[in-house]
Amino acid sequence: MPLTGVFFIPSNPNASTALATVTERLNSAFAEEPALLGRWGLDHKLMRDTPSCLPPSTSQRQTVPKLMQFLWLYHYPTHGFIYASQPLDNGNAPAVTTAKATASSSQSSQTTTATTPMIMTTIPHQSTASLYQHFVYACQPFWAPRHTVTVQGGMVYEIGDFRVRVGDVRQTQPAARVRGTVVEIEWRGPSLVSTLSRLYQSRKLKTGKVPGPYSFNEEDDGDDDSGIGLDFPDGVEEADIDAEYVATATLIREFWTKLGVDGAREAILVSDIGKEAKRRLQEMKQQDKQWSSRTGKDDVDQQVDEDPDAGVDVARQYMEVFRFNR
Amino acid sequence: MHELLLFASVPAHQHHELLQQLAGLTAMQPRHRLERRLVFKAYRKPGLTNARGGTNQGADIVRLNKMLNGGMYYTQVVGPISEADFDTQRSSSGDPDAAMSGTDEAAGSSYDYENQPWKLEFRDIPEAGTRSTITARLTASATLPKGDIVTPMNAWGYSFVTEYVVEGQVFIHNDIVIFLHRVLQYPIHGQEPHEPRRQLPSFRDMSPLERTGSYILQAAITVQDGSNQELMRTAFQHLFGLREQLKSAVRLEHADRLSLDTRAK
Repeated sequence: MPLTGVFFIPSNPNASTALATVTERLNSAFAEEPALLGRWGLDHKLMRDTPSCLPPSTSQRQTVPKLMQFLWLYHYPTHGFIYASQPLDNGNAPAVTTAKATASSSQSSQTTTATTPMIMTTIPHQSTASLYQHFVYACQPFWAPRHTVTVQGGMVYEIGDFRVRVGDVRQTQPAARVRGTVVEIEWRGPSLVSTLSRLYQSRKLKTGKVPGPYSFNEEDDGDDDSGIGLDFPDGVEEADIDAEYVATATLIREFWTKLGVDGAREAILVSDIGKEAKRRLQEMKQQDKQWSSRTGKDDVDQQVDEDPDAGVDVARQYMEVFRFNR
Repeated sequence: MHELLLFASVPAHQHHELLQQLAGLTAMQPRHRLERRLVFKAYRKPGLTNARGGTNQGADIVRLNKMLNGGMYYTQVVGPISEADFDTQRSSSGDPDAAMSGTDEAAGSSYDYENQPWKLEFRDIPEAGTRSTITARLTASATLPKGDIVTPMNAWGYSFVTEYVVEGQVFIHNDIVIFLHRVLQYPIHGQEPHEPRRQLPSFRDMSPLERTGSYILQAAITVQDGSNQELMRTAFQHLFGLREQLKSAVRLEHADRLSLDTRAK
């Protein structure tokens, strides 16, 4: 699970986007020549609860709109991300780790949209479309489609320890128009979170039933089993993970500042970021209980997803910036 | 997706014989299928509907109001299980109290709720109209995350209602899936739980919904594109063909439309 930051530069319909500027600055602002690694894309759909779409009337109290977001990222092709507002009237909500809420709120970012807590889910890619269709068809009284945006033919560059994905965001529904430019900056230097993530995966492969070679995220790291020889880092606490997210955010902001592009909305330390990393840390700490493998399950119909948590942090960041004009 | 269906009731005494007949017809051994089925109901926030009656309504408002009064449905979340998942240890002790105190993980229980795979299976109310000789309905299916499914389902607008188990044998005959099955109910000790069971009781404690022990024979064809009349017609013919072939054994017919109504009131 790499550490990332997402920036979005909005633009007016029919105006040119900041893509050319960003690309040009990537080439000029750094001593190193950016290496073009390939293409990427994404697809994002936003739904909002139908009652809140109606104009507020005097007879009704204004409620906080509930949202549901569907995201698919080219660099996490196995699954789609669904992020939905937690129901407020629900008593059995899971205990949310509150430790990092203070950490993220201390950082002032331009995106200060206060929303209700949201629940991240990943499901196999093939199921994302059918689930979205299901909500459109069968859940009209409480889910209304708002807009769909896509990035097609975006560019992936590598500059030093950073990997940068840039692309133009186009709205396809309800009306076709340009929305702006999105930039994802990924820190690929040494990181505690990626090490933990690799350690978690290697243990899972050793103990789990499917020895699948799932490594699309790590394939160019070369030393894929670097985590296996490591003893479990007993000293690592959740606070260390928080600290790393904050520290990396500083690095990513520095990188962004060098580009010198104005008017961007930033999503780095969004709410619940690192939640899965911390959960994995907890799981590894109580591994005696957790690493029992399950056998004899009829998995014929289930598409196997080796790492359903991959990319949830960057998905949260994208969703943060795509929550425009809800 | 569309699903075309025919059903028949199979009395308990005919079950064994029909299994053999189906094995002969389909030239295959039956595949055992055991599924947890969780029933979820779409919920609406109270006090937010029909509260509006203005005159200066734009097209968008009209559309939204229409959506607000659109249909809401029950849907099922289905998870495959095996008989080994049922708690065999406790049943051998024969102590009903032990089965009730499902608070701690017992040594014999192998069921792992955290890794239970799930699938959403939505079934619309069967289509009304002229094709009343066969039950046809819109379906949707999507793989869901494993483990705790109630949290995301709540966030998506569904609340848990109840659950049951379906047990039976599956045959495949060309494009027809034949499912000879029965519905099993969990033993009820006092109040029914408000969330899916994290542990399963002994399989022997499960009781059939149909007390006489009869089974349901369901023959189904799934059509990916329900708007393709050619495909639908072919599927109809295949189902009618099966009905003819099984005529001497069972009487396959369509189900009462309202008995398969999934709309939530």
